[in-house]
Parts: sequence; C-alpha cells; structure tokens
Amino acid sequence: MAVKRAEGSGSYGTSPYVLVLSLIGLIIAGFGVKVLIDPHGGENVLASIYDLLGNSAGAGLLRNGGGDQFLAKLLLGAIALLVGVGGIWLLFTTASTLVERLPPKMRDRILPWVFIAPALILLSVYLVYPAVTTVIGSFHDKKGAFTLDNWASLATGPFLEILRNNVIWLVVATAGSVGLGLLVAALFDRIKREALAKVFIFTPLAISLVGATVIWKFVYAWQPPSQPQFGLLNAIWTSFGNTPIAWATTFPINLPAEMLIMIWLQTGFAMVVLSAAIKGVSVEVLEAARLDGANDRQIFFKVIIPLIRGSIITVTTTIAITTLKIFDIVMSISGGHNHDDVVAVRMFTEMFQFFNDGRAAALATVLFIAVLPVMILNLRSFRRQAAM
Amino acid sequence: MSRAPYWPINFMEETSMGNKPSRMAGLAAVVVLIVAACSPAASSAPTGAAASNPPASQGAGASAPPAALNLPTVPTGYTELDKALTKGADGKMPFAGTKVSIQTQWTGGEGEGFAAAIKDFAAATGITINVDSIGSSHETVLKTRIEGGSPPDMAALAQPTGVLAYAAEGKVVDVATFMDTAKLKAEFPSTIGLTTDGAHIWSIPTKADVKSMIWYPVKAFAAKGYTVPKTWDELVTLADKIVADGSHPFCVSAGGPGTATGWELTDWVEEVLLKTEDPQVTNDWVSHKVLFTDPKIKAAFDKVGSLLFKDKYVDGGGQAIVNADLKTVMDPMFNQDTAAPGCWMQKIPVWYGPDFFPDKRTNGGDSKYKIGDDGDIGIFPFPTISDQYKGAEGSADSFMVLNDRPEVRAFAEFLATPEGLEGWIKSVGVLSPNVKVPAEWYAGNYKLKVANAIATGATAIGFDASDLMPPAVGQGSFWTGISDWANSNGTNTDATLQAIDDSWPK
Repeated sequence: MAVKRAEGSGSYGTSPYVLVLSLIGLIIAGFGVKVLIDPHGGENVLASIYDLLGNSAGAGLLRNGGGDQFLAKLLLGAIALLVGVGGIWLLFTTASTLVERLPPKMRDRILPWVFIAPALILLSVYLVYPAVTTVIGSFHDKKGAFTLDNWASLATGPFLEILRNNVIWLVVATAGSVGLGLLVAALFDRIKREALAKVFIFTPLAISLVGATVIWKFVYAWQPPSQPQFGLLNAIWTSFGNTPIAWATTFPINLPAEMLIMIWLQTGFAMVVLSAAIKGVSVEVLEAARLDGANDRQIFFKVIIPLIRGSIITVTTTIAITTLKIFDIVMSISGGHNHDDVVAVRMFTEMFQFFNDGRAAALATVLFIAVLPVMILNLRSFRRQAAM
Repeated sequence: MSRAPYWPINFMEETSMGNKPSRMAGLAAVVVLIVAACSPAASSAPTGAAASNPPASQGAGASAPPAALNLPTVPTGYTELDKALTKGADGKMPFAGTKVSIQTQWTGGEGEGFAAAIKDFAAATGITINVDSIGSSHETVLKTRIEGGSPPDMAALAQPTGVLAYAAEGKVVDVATFMDTAKLKAEFPSTIGLTTDGAHIWSIPTKADVKSMIWYPVKAFAAKGYTVPKTWDELVTLADKIVADGSHPFCVSAGGPGTATGWELTDWVEEVLLKTEDPQVTNDWVSHKVLFTDPKIKAAFDKVGSLLFKDKYVDGGGQAIVNADLKTVMDPMFNQDTAAPGCWMQKIPVWYGPDFFPDKRTNGGDSKYKIGDDGDIGIFPFPTISDQYKGAEGSADSFMVLNDRPEVRAFAEFLATPEGLEGWIKSVGVLSPNVKVPAEWYAGNYKLKVANAIATGATAIGFDASDLMPPAVGQGSFWTGISDWANSNGTNTDATLQAIDDSWPK
C-alpha cells in the first residue's frame, strides 16, 4: 500500500513546478494577508486599482473614507475568500509535496501530522491558550499580583444567588426541554399528520435566542392596571379579573418565565432526535412485548426508553451544556438586574462594565468546570453508540 | 450613557441621544456655564469674538474657505494645534495626509453634531479624522480594542471610572505631558471636569449634560391653569391637584432600554440629595465615607419614595417605574396631542428630545411637537427643596488619548478649545464643559438656554453620583437595589440600602 502510493506520487512530489507555483502562491497569500490585516485594506487596494485605471478622483475619495465603500468591502471579501480557501489548499499541497519527498517510513509517520497540524495550531492559539490564561487570570488582581480574592468573592451573597440560578436553569430548563420533547415525540408517533405537527414544535429552533426573547417580551409585557394590556399573557390573565403581573421582571416568577423561552426553543431539537430514535426501535421488539402482555405504558417506559437511552443522554447533555452557558435570554430580558443573573451574564458584566477582569475570569473558569463533566458524559455516550 | 449599552436588543442606536443614562459629572458643564454667564465677561468675550471672526488668514492658510470656520485663532495656547493650523515653510499644512481615529458612543443626532464640530478642523489641517460611532456596544468594543493592543487613537467615555480603570492599566496618555495644564484647569475649572489623578490628567470633557430639569406639556398646563412649581411643596400640591383631576403627575422609567436600567430613579435620589444636603455629602457618598444606610441618604430615598410611590402619582406605582422603558415612558404625555396627558412631568436630562417623541420615534422625520415655553413640551428647573442647598446635577462625556502622535495631540488640543465644540453647539445643540464658551452660542436653542439658566442658578453642581461610584455599585448593585426598592413601593428601604452597602468593593 505504502509503496504503491509512493510510486503514484513520486513524479508529483519531485516536480519543480509545484514548488515554484507554491512559492508564488505563498507570496500572493502573504500580500493577501497583509491587505486583510490593514483596517482599510479593501479601500487601499481598490484605490490602487483606480490609480492604475487613471481614476485618481475615486482613489482619493476612497483613501479618505468615502467613495465606493461597498465595492471596497466586496473586494475585501473576495480577497479573504481567495486567501482563506487558496491558502489552505496551498498549505496542504506544499506540505504534502515536501513530505512526499522523505523516505517512505518517515513519511508515513509524519504525513498524518501534516494534516492535523493546522487544526492543532489553531486550537492551541484560539482555545487552549486563552483557556490557560483565563485560569491564570482568575488568580490575579488588577495590578497583576497573585490573589485568591476573585474566587473567595464567589462565595458571597450575589454570587451564590447567581450560582443558584444556574442550577435551577440546568435542572428545570433541561428537564423541561427533554421531557416535553420526549412526550411530544411519543405522542406524535401515533398521529396522522406527524410531519406537519412536528414542524410547529421544531420551527422555534430556527429563531435566535435574542429574537425569541424579543418575541416573549411582548408576551410578558406589563402595563399599569389602568391601561389596556397588550402583553398576551397579561391580557389573558386580567380577563379573569386578576391584576397584571410583570412576568419578566418580578422575582421569582421571572426565572420560570425566562426558562420557558429556552424550553420553547429546545423542545423541537429534543423531539426530532428522540422521535428518530423511537422510530428506530424495531417493530419485532414492540410486538414481542405486546405478545408478552405489556400495556402501552409498560412498553413506553420499560421497552422504548431503555432502548433509546443513548439518544436521551446525548440530547440531555447537549441541552444541559447550552443551558449552563445561558446568556442571551437573561441579558435581553433585563441584563440580570432582577435577581435573575446567571454566570455567563455576570462574567460579561464584570469584564466589560465593572472592569473586574479577574473575577470575570474566575466565573469563566467556573462555567468551564461545570460544563466539563457534562461534556465527558456526552462523549462517552457518543463512544458507546459508536461501539454499538 | 452609562448604559450598559452593549446589548443588541438595546435599541439605542435609533434614539441617538439616548445613550447616556449615566453620564459623568456635569460639574464641568455647570461650572463652565456659571463662569461663562456670570463672570465679568473678561475671559469669555475675547474668545467669543475670535470665534465669530474666522481665523482664516492666520492659521488655516490659503486653503481655508472664507466662511466662518469653527476653528480657534492661532496662537491657540497649544503647541501641536498651532503647528497643525499653520502652513509650514514648504507651503503645506504640516499634518496634511495624516490620520487620527476616534471611537465614540455618539450616533444619530450626537453623531451628526460631532461630525459638524470636527469638519472644519479636518479641512483646514488636512488631517483625516476617522470616527467610529459604535453606539450602544461602544464600551465593549473599546475594551476589546484597548486590551487587544490596537486601540483607536482617541476614545470618548461617559464615566470617569472607566477612564481611571484604563489609566491604572497604563493604557491612557497623560494629556498633562503635552498640554498646558494651567490653561486646561482654567478652562475646565472643576476637578470633575478633567479626570485627574494627582498631577495626571487622563481625560478632558467634551460635552456636558444638565440633569436637574423636568419636562412638561405646556399647553395642557395652561389649559388646566397649572403653574410651574418652584419648590418641592408646590410640586406636591400640583401633583395632588393632578391626581384630584383624575390623572397621574409623573412618568418615570427605570426599565431600560436594554440593560441600562435604574438610572433615572438613581438620578431622582441624587437630585434630592443635592437639594437637601451640602454637596460634600454627595462627595463622601461617592467615596463611601457616607454609607447608603446613613440617615442623610435614607432621607433622600424616603423623600423620593414619598413622592413617586404615593398612590396614583405614577400610574401603576413602583412596578410601573421598573417596567417602563425610557423610549416610551413619556408617551402618555402626548395623549390627544398633549391635550389630555396621562402623565405630566418627567425628570430627564437635557439630551432628551424629539428623538423620543412618539411621532418621530415611530415614523422618523421631524417631530411635530415643538420644545419651548410657547411650544408643546417645555422644561422647568427641578424645584428647590431647601433654601440653603440649591445644587444641580449634571454629567459629561470625556475623551482620552490612547496613542501619542503629533497629529493626535493636535486633534485632542482642538477638542479642548471652545471652538472644538462650536460646530456641534450651533448645529444639533450641545452644552460645552469649557468655561470659555460664550453664552450667546446657546442663545438660539431653548433647551440649552434653560440648561444654562439652571446651571447658573445652582449653588453647586454635583456630578451624577452613581457614575462616580465603583461601576459594580453605580451600574450594578445600586441599579439592582433601586429596582427592588421600587418594586416594593419603597417599603424595604433599609434592607435595600444595607444590601448596596454590602456590595461595595472591599
């Protein structure tokens, strides 16, 4: 196998044209990167083109922040696409060309690394490095000295409230989404126009968290009792003679109100995955259970659920991670000012509003540690499914 | 605004003037105004004259058009600015072709105003000014750029606390190293005007806001025979009369837009404090020498509570305050074109205006409602409470220099001159914190005239206290606490004050 590949690529690898072309390509990519790094790169390139074409007035306008800005942005986009796609192609071609010239034994060992190296490097730069500096930053005060204060402060009142809220989110929103999703999946399995019904449950998933929050803010809207209630919920609520309730801003009712938005969004996801899993349960098993005298409830709880356990774990962990990191909904409702603050929102506030970078880093670390076991569970479940 | 502006849902971009919930100390503005208006015109007159006579021939060189330019006369008293405005030996403007970037939170009307202010400077010096108007996510973007090591050359900020935080990290250029400190201190006499730390000057205020004012429907007042209250007692009497007539006196919003909640209510408390106690109490409150649980602070809370939480004074009570959005809170005042207002008075700073009026807000264009004593919506000074303390509340946006280059210095120096804001004052209208700005520049603008009168009538100017507190309190626990307090209609004052005290950073 290895010998064959060596023969096949032999002529390719030794071709000097490839090297020369790669070199030219690298130089072009270098220029491209230079344009991309310059904050006014697009304008400047287009201005140079205009200069070449003799349109010095247009070039001057562009250089001063006017003129064909849209065209300049389009050009910049095209350059980015070219450098991005072309650059990656170039990188792999050049690297594999070089490696192909090595002795076969060494080559087989190095070649896989050539292909994962870019991913590894990017992950290190954009994930591992920031993660490590974040953890280190959580142990430093504003002047850069070592301190445990950032962590100690997390045990004080407001932060305990925040952690409590996150736990409630984790339990209620996750259980609500998965439970409802499972229920809907099981019930819809038996109706005629299943696809149509599923569309209604699934559609909210296409809405962004912020968009969904805006929608629900109208549902929860509150007006003084003397005014007409345009909020859907209060319109219904007051029609029974009750006084209106500020659902989104009154603690503790605002917690379930916010979680409902998440459940509304995530139920569709749980339903789709679980519905597919339920359909995957073989008819023979179900018939066997029925022959053995099991009723519908027993079949659901004792046959179907154990059989789709893997899918349930996957869905649960995926939603749990989303829930732990919840940010958009709380931020959009009122910024967490009504005892509904959560870790991710507070992390943002501490960082950008309070200038407490160390405490923001500690909160980020807390979130990371909290997500970790859920992720491991998720990966294990994946592996088990793969093994099956 | 000290908004916590970073959120996409925060629609502040539309309401250009709205982005300043928590502005910093209006001291500067006030002081400026006071000085400009009351002091024997010795200092301001010459500047004014100079401004109205364009310095075209002297500084701007042959390229300057003959129309009145918003430029200071050379010598300006600042080194780089003089250089930038004077043709070099080679016949060219020395900084022509250079670029200066500035990031601001000013969008909409404020953005237009700033563009008008710097247009002539850019034309005369040949310096290209790149303005990044980020709007509501300004502070987030700015922090990312500064921490990331590629800051804009200059940046505006609403809170001195933010400026000081960047200065402590060594990210800000001390303008005292290249500008005439004595001149700066003379033109921005309040220590709050300039953000200082010892001998360092970290930022210079650009635009000021006066907060001690109440907006009201002029025609409805006249129709009902109501008169503008001058004292707190008259205010209460008027409010009672309005309630007796079946309406609600006040509109107050502590619900945003976006995450900038609570500041309108904290402004009420700060205002009452400045009008009942020595201004030193406010200063000590900001530095936590006076606690929130101090009887004087509690008295201010109670006084505000006794007014706003009284039955029917605000339609829906404290809960309505917490849920009302700044953008829409004053809409009831426009009921039947202000003939039958659903609320009659709103305490809101001078930056408020037609951008928030219902017709312009929903349809764009010009609002049909005119601001003025003979228009639809008028402004009166916040009533006095004590005879002794007649302080007023204000705030200001300031700018800091982040990259030290000659052309950046020149632009910073230009913004510090009265003419640096002239284009904005005379177009969109804004208050300058520079005391050398002649009062007649404001004459044509009702809002600015009223603000000027309020500032000159005040015994002291206090800056927005919550903007000077540590942000974790001023934009954090103070806002959260005051929402709790309003939600309970002022029944949990002690617990609220204690909770805010407990949250003060150690």
